[in-house]
Amino acid sequence: MEEPVDTATAILASAVVLLRERMFDDISYRALADEVGISERTIYRQYPTRAHLLAALSNWIEQTRFPLPPFVTVSDFRAAVHERFRAFDTLPAYAYVGARASAISPTLNTEPAYITRAIEAMLEVAAPTLNRRDQRRVAASLRYFSSAMFWARLRTGFDLDADEIGEAFDRAVDTVLAKLPAATWAEP
Amino acid sequence: MTVPELSGTQAAILAAYAELIEELGSDDVSYRVIARRAGIAERTVFRNYPTRVDLLLATAAWIEATLFAREESHSIFDIPLAIRDAMNRYDERPELAHVVAETAMRGVSGAAPSPDRAHLERLLDAEVPSLDAAQRRAVIAALSHLDSAGTWVTFRREFGMDRRDIADAAAWAAEAVLDNIRDRTSFRH
Repeated sequence: MEEPVDTATAILASAVVLLRERMFDDISYRALADEVGISERTIYRQYPTRAHLLAALSNWIEQTRFPLPPFVTVSDFRAAVHERFRAFDTLPAYAYVGARASAISPTLNTEPAYITRAIEAMLEVAAPTLNRRDQRRVAASLRYFSSAMFWARLRTGFDLDADEIGEAFDRAVDTVLAKLPAATWAEP
Repeated sequence: MTVPELSGTQAAILAAYAELIEELGSDDVSYRVIARRAGIAERTVFRNYPTRVDLLLATAAWIEATLFAREESHSIFDIPLAIRDAMNRYDERPELAHVVAETAMRGVSGAAPSPDRAHLERLLDAEVPSLDAAQRRAVIAALSHLDSAGTWVTFRREFGMDRRDIADAAAWAAEAVLDNIRDRTSFRH
């Protein structure tokens, strides 16, 4: 790596490299320190627990490996999620880190993920007159079916690939949106 | 859902570890502390669970099968009710819900992410046998995703929902999944 980076980022970049050959649980702070060329103590200072490291690593992977394509309409949203599932399939070890990090007890003051806000904004435009409770139910369902968790569960528990997971996602989205009265939709 | 047969010592270890996770708010608990809480020797813990990952996965399975056990559903159309109950139960034990959610997201070396899949398939096949393979898979996948600690974690964390809102939204989504197949049952009641 040519550009100088701060210590916190250098640690994450090295962890990403180590993830290619072993699971997150098998990456010790010792091994990480050797890889970066710093002391173990410096890593503890940046990431006091493995949960902190997991959360930061997931954010870093999200930004660098799985950027979410922007979407405004429901069909763009579907396409973006399909693309994401396919990206997960090409780098499963990284995607599992994201799924795990989204399940742990929050370590930092975690803000909702960008995709959550994007889904809410999409519904504001698509179904502006929808009551608030249904809006939240729909947003939460769409968010959860588009998550790394859904990909991970279907890959591990059902042995599906990205296209099959995308199809299950589409069907779930269909059933959720079918709950809404047709008149709520601003556009077809 | 099947739970591996546990010895009395193993059950004591897992219960002690679960208790400590709740008290300390972290699964990072030393074997020494767990052994002391269980009232046994540290090497007995090592003999039963050679690595921390072994111990954590066994504990997650034990938590899901005992503290978060579902009342058995006899119809696929009862699943939303079971989901509502499960969300309430997760909300009472947040630390343990996180452990169960996270260990299911580790891939093949983690906990089974859809432990109830076979049960859901039996119910669906008995009541709605006319679905094609892709429809059947989509229903089972969606319900098994919703009937998990991941739902509770996501709805709380991403939407700031409280217990009622989570139980409501999760059960609502499960009802939505079932809407398509409500009038396709093979039974006459």
